[in-house]
Amino acid sequence: MRAGHEQYDENIAPYLLGALPELEAQLFERHLETCPDCRLALERLRVAAEALPQAVEPLEPPPELKESLMQTVWAEAETRPGGLPKRHAARSLLGRPLRLGSARAVVATACALAIGVGIGIAVGNGGGGGGHETVSARVDHSRAPSGDATLTLPAGKAGGAILTVHGLPDPGPGRVYEAWVERQGRMHPAGALFSVGSGGSGAAAIPGSLEGAQAIAVTAEPDGGSSQPTQAPLLTVNLS
Amino acid sequence: MLLVQGGDPRAFEVLYDRHGGAAFSLAYRMVGRRAVAEDVVQESFLSIWRSKARYEPERGSVRTWVLGVVHHRAIDALRHHLRHDRRRAEVEGIEERQEARELTDIEAARREQATDVRAALSSLPGEQSRVIELAYYGGFTHTQIAEMLDVATGTVKGRMRLGLEKMRRQLGGDAA
Repeated sequence: MRAGHEQYDENIAPYLLGALPELEAQLFERHLETCPDCRLALERLRVAAEALPQAVEPLEPPPELKESLMQTVWAEAETRPGGLPKRHAARSLLGRPLRLGSARAVVATACALAIGVGIGIAVGNGGGGGGHETVSARVDHSRAPSGDATLTLPAGKAGGAILTVHGLPDPGPGRVYEAWVERQGRMHPAGALFSVGSGGSGAAAIPGSLEGAQAIAVTAEPDGGSSQPTQAPLLTVNLS
Repeated sequence: MLLVQGGDPRAFEVLYDRHGGAAFSLAYRMVGRRAVAEDVVQESFLSIWRSKARYEPERGSVRTWVLGVVHHRAIDALRHHLRHDRRRAEVEGIEERQEARELTDIEAARREQATDVRAALSSLPGEQSRVIELAYYGGFTHTQIAEMLDVATGTVKGRMRLGLEKMRRQLGGDAA
């Protein structure tokens, strides 16, 4: 216990609730740096204070708020050194970045595309032709007991492959599924993040050509995706 | 989060999609006016985008961190720009309230948690829940609360401490 501990101890709860005036809060934070007892007591009570936002009645923010926020964010991103990030760019079939699309929009687009591709296959098969190939995935059933997935590839493995999944578990809070392209034994982000709905179903459009790719893999990653897989693939589609 | 702080607008959009609703709900509960709540949320997320607020994973979840940023912004708005009129939320809230549509599994789980937190809060003696609500949702300092309730600041601080301790136990934080 450090000198002055008693006078600060009673400020732990007001600090967690944001009820200390600015100067008092600064003094308390300075004391915390040197007082393990106060830090311990603070951490014990933090769970209660941090639960308080959950008691608030949920409201829908106006769509204009997101629109305005994203306009500012895109404008600032374009003026930053290095410009917009390219690596995770989700792209439409025409190859343009989906600027206003969230991961959900990408999934929605992919779902729509998947339906279109499905119809294309049916028509193609019925007519004795068909320019697509469907490859089944190998799923880690220890983690996804009822999981299965297929990759629908355009002829010549050109851009616009669609990965459809079923029976996958929810990736968990704050996480999304990310697709990877394996080339020469190395994993590269495929530029496709997706989530799954009820029944573990979902879809993702894989932008770019898959010519020369060995496999497509999927892992669960933190929001926004990762630059390298942080876990073993949940499913793999072999292409070689 | 690294992608957000590295300047990826798409990652930032995912962050907003996941936590914007909770952020707006908290801001509105605190400031009681839609326009001000929107300003608070916009400033909070821009602060995150501009990396002025840094996320430290060891301090908790991304959601907790985002809501902490929003809480600080809302307190700032209350203390510097708004008069504390406790009637405003009740008057405006009824007309403006619009329940969030989304009810995914995660949202359903959050609603269950919300029920637990509300139950924990309402089980406290009135004098304890009152000081906690005035401080956390109202943005009042302990000295302002002491004046309002006509009690000593030490009493206010003590009630806050007792209330949080009880909530912690009710929410299963005994092991901490």
